[in-house]
Amino acid sequence: MTSKDIIKITLNLVIIYVVGGLILAAVYAKTEPVKVLKAYQEKQAALKEMMPEAKEISKMGVWKPHDKEAEYYIAKKDGKTIGYIIETYAKGYSSYIDMLIAVNDAFTVEKLNILEQHETPGLGDEVQQPYFQNQFAGKTLAHLVVVKVPTKVDIQAVSGATISSRAVTDDGVKKAVEMLKDKLSSEVKNEQAG
Amino acid sequence: MSKRASLGTLIRNGILLENPIFRLALSLCPTIAVTNKLRNGFLMGLAVLFVQVMVNLTISALRKFIHPRIRLPIFMLIISGWVTVVDMLMAAYARAAYKEMGLYIELIVAFASILARAELFASKNEVVPSFMDGIGQGVGFLFALCIISFFRELLGMGSLWGHAFVSSKPLLIMVLPTGGFFAVGILMGFFNWIDMKFFGGSGASGAAGH
Repeated sequence: MTSKDIIKITLNLVIIYVVGGLILAAVYAKTEPVKVLKAYQEKQAALKEMMPEAKEISKMGVWKPHDKEAEYYIAKKDGKTIGYIIETYAKGYSSYIDMLIAVNDAFTVEKLNILEQHETPGLGDEVQQPYFQNQFAGKTLAHLVVVKVPTKVDIQAVSGATISSRAVTDDGVKKAVEMLKDKLSSEVKNEQAG
Repeated sequence: MSKRASLGTLIRNGILLENPIFRLALSLCPTIAVTNKLRNGFLMGLAVLFVQVMVNLTISALRKFIHPRIRLPIFMLIISGWVTVVDMLMAAYARAAYKEMGLYIELIVAFASILARAELFASKNEVVPSFMDGIGQGVGFLFALCIISFFRELLGMGSLWGHAFVSSKPLLIMVLPTGGFFAVGILMGFFNWIDMKFFGGSGASGAAGH
């Protein structure tokens, strides 16, 4: 390899890097604002859907299920708190199950919405089906229990997917509601102490 | 393939005789990963088509400028550049699809089929034939992904493009990775048979890569 080759190779790489970098920067500048805006709108729409009667949904704080950052929100109507929405990640069979949970001010679950999961197709991913998710409406902490037989009071597991069902129920909904209860009671204590 | 091959020949080659998946047996790993639903297979095929065409164009245009000793690193840079462009575009404008396949889009960087065409064709040919070769190979890839995912979704989920025909799941194994091997294997055999029967080929596929 002559020194001429070395110069050519260096020039090759420098030019490709610089031009490539410029193109990527241009595309990034164009697409990033669109992406951020759309992600924000999607989130707002998802929250609104969780509690359609709420007039105002605002962020209350951040918590860390499985070291992932998740937010929880307070929903108000005419200045009165009507409920809370919590985002959480549950450890499923083959993925983290990302979900939103709406509870009313008495900590009864109103709605569950699984946003994203990558459980086994045809088995674990059935947890996303309405027949499973709808079971959570109206459940209090005491009834967030997975059973394998038909039930009206508890949560019936998806057949063949007990691990995913348990993950959604125990690691997901139950933990989130307990976390919220904890946070709220410690806030009340702080206020009384202060 | 001659330099003066027409677009029709190149596309026919891409779909049948030199199909990257069924005939050349390239990029089988991502093929099996994304083809459990027709929609995923189709979108992945489109992304690959775009990247293949752009990579072929870029490399063909720059082929005299690139020093032969560092051609592979430069090809990789060009491929990853275009893949990043696709990734950013999809994240902004096709969010629903991106959520499902974002992970696989980034994998296009390592697709043997794209690097193979860059090295075998685009680096040795003029811009126009390279463009057509990109179209041919990209359409061939798209076609292969669609046909595999068509059978996998239909048999595994009893649906197509998310529309269910039957309430049960006839052959669940087809949407699992195992079924991917079955589908690719059987279709590959079918295309080899076509090659032998109608085009007088030996029926042997090319060397495998992932």
